[in-house]
Amino acid sequence: MPTFPSVDWFNAVRERYNTDQTLHSGGGGPCEAKAALCIGDSVYLLEFEGFECAEILEIDRDDIDQADFFLEMPMPEWIDMINNIRENGAADLDHTLSTIDLELEDGLPRAPGDDQYRRDLFYRYNQNFQDFFDASAGIATTIGRVD
Amino acid sequence: MTQASRVKKLTDSVSHIEVSPPRLQWMGHSRQWGTRVKKGEHGLRLGDLNVGIYGEIPQHWEDQSRRPRGAADLPGMPPLPYHLRSKHQLWADSAADLYEEAIQHRWIPATDIPWSELSPLPDDVERAMCQVLTELMQAANAELESITYWQEQMSYGYHEVKQFLAVAALTCARHIDAFRKRCLANGGGLGLESRGRMNRAILESRGGWTEAVVYIYLLRGFHVQNQYRLLLAHAHNAAEREIFANCLADHSRHMSYALDHLKYAITQQASQAAIIQTLLSLGESTLARDIQEPVQRSALAIVFGGGVEGGRQEGMATWRAMVRQSIHDYLDACEWLGIKRNMIQRRLNALLPPDEQLVPTERG
Repeated sequence: MPTFPSVDWFNAVRERYNTDQTLHSGGGGPCEAKAALCIGDSVYLLEFEGFECAEILEIDRDDIDQADFFLEMPMPEWIDMINNIRENGAADLDHTLSTIDLELEDGLPRAPGDDQYRRDLFYRYNQNFQDFFDASAGIATTIGRVD
Repeated sequence: MTQASRVKKLTDSVSHIEVSPPRLQWMGHSRQWGTRVKKGEHGLRLGDLNVGIYGEIPQHWEDQSRRPRGAADLPGMPPLPYHLRSKHQLWADSAADLYEEAIQHRWIPATDIPWSELSPLPDDVERAMCQVLTELMQAANAELESITYWQEQMSYGYHEVKQFLAVAALTCARHIDAFRKRCLANGGGLGLESRGRMNRAILESRGGWTEAVVYIYLLRGFHVQNQYRLLLAHAHNAAEREIFANCLADHSRHMSYALDHLKYAITQQASQAAIIQTLLSLGESTLARDIQEPVQRSALAIVFGGGVEGGRQEGMATWRAMVRQSIHDYLDACEWLGIKRNMIQRRLNALLPPDEQLVPTERG
């Protein structure tokens, strides 16, 4: 059972997202973006190509400018989001990336170098990213340490 | 007489006529023959075709005909009113990719929205939602009409942009369609027409497509984008959720083109940044008056607050946060474009929290 967060866990989600077309909501469309997720001390780079998540890498924080944008939240909030998805089959309205973004004073996505064009990819492909996280609903998960 | 014998008789009757062999001279007219573009991992995309002479995108396109870029010209073609013939007037490097993305990101309001998930809402909330959507329909309509007005004036030399904007216009029509259906499918109806000062400014903008882009996207675009974000977060059911998620993605794609185009225009034209500064100074107070318009403001607050009662405190607080976010997004985009706004119009400035206000200009 993969542990969240880990490359194994993200690869399990990736496998499900890439192979189950029912997880791609209406109008999802293709996505060309690299998103970094800062979870605890780890940074995961998710590369989306077309209708798939092509690759997951764990990268150093110093290499974050490889990403178009990055999402950073305290570990308990990531876990709350993942647990909510597992309980409901998909994020409820209080736990979507969009809602979390709105609840943070400065928003959720940041772009290296404050590049507005790259940051806006988060909104352009919001459905794809949400579909990806919702794909974790079917993944048996062990939650890692919160500290 | 049978059909076969009738044909034979006709053929025999003209057999003495000598027919010259076809010359087919047109076959020699190609500026570059033998091109074989291979499809890539994601198919054969519009941008992949920019090889050889077909990828030569000139800074200025003198041709006023409908000749596709790369085709041989036919002498004597009368000019057509393509007034936008310089690359800096419309170009964005991302246009071909955005076109591909737009035609693949397709959704059909009639069948892709789970309309059966709609359920009756309290009367005040239903009225507020229908009012919000009535005004968003008008904004989408102004965007559509502005795009089509300028798109037909764009030279064929820049077909990537023309094609992207053709789909962008269709996308606006899709939004209007979806909003209208939402209004008329849940026991409500359309609300009150918007005063639409920004709509008028957009539609009356005649200085060029770049000027229209400044008004539609740079100035008002973030306010529309943030409305979609909040309406998505406050969706009452799966149907609304699907509508606003799609609208957010679509609108963000339009914003990507706009920012990319403005960046290009500013880079290529020395005076463009100063022109945009002037346009923003003229437009900011118009936008601020639209934002402050009590009808849309209260309707949004009621939706965000879950009713008239909740709208007074919680809803208005959310509305103020949304407006603040929109203005900050706008100022960030200006800075990213290199047209930092050290001063903004008084009315717009007043919409920011006191400790975040910039130096206002006298006007507005």
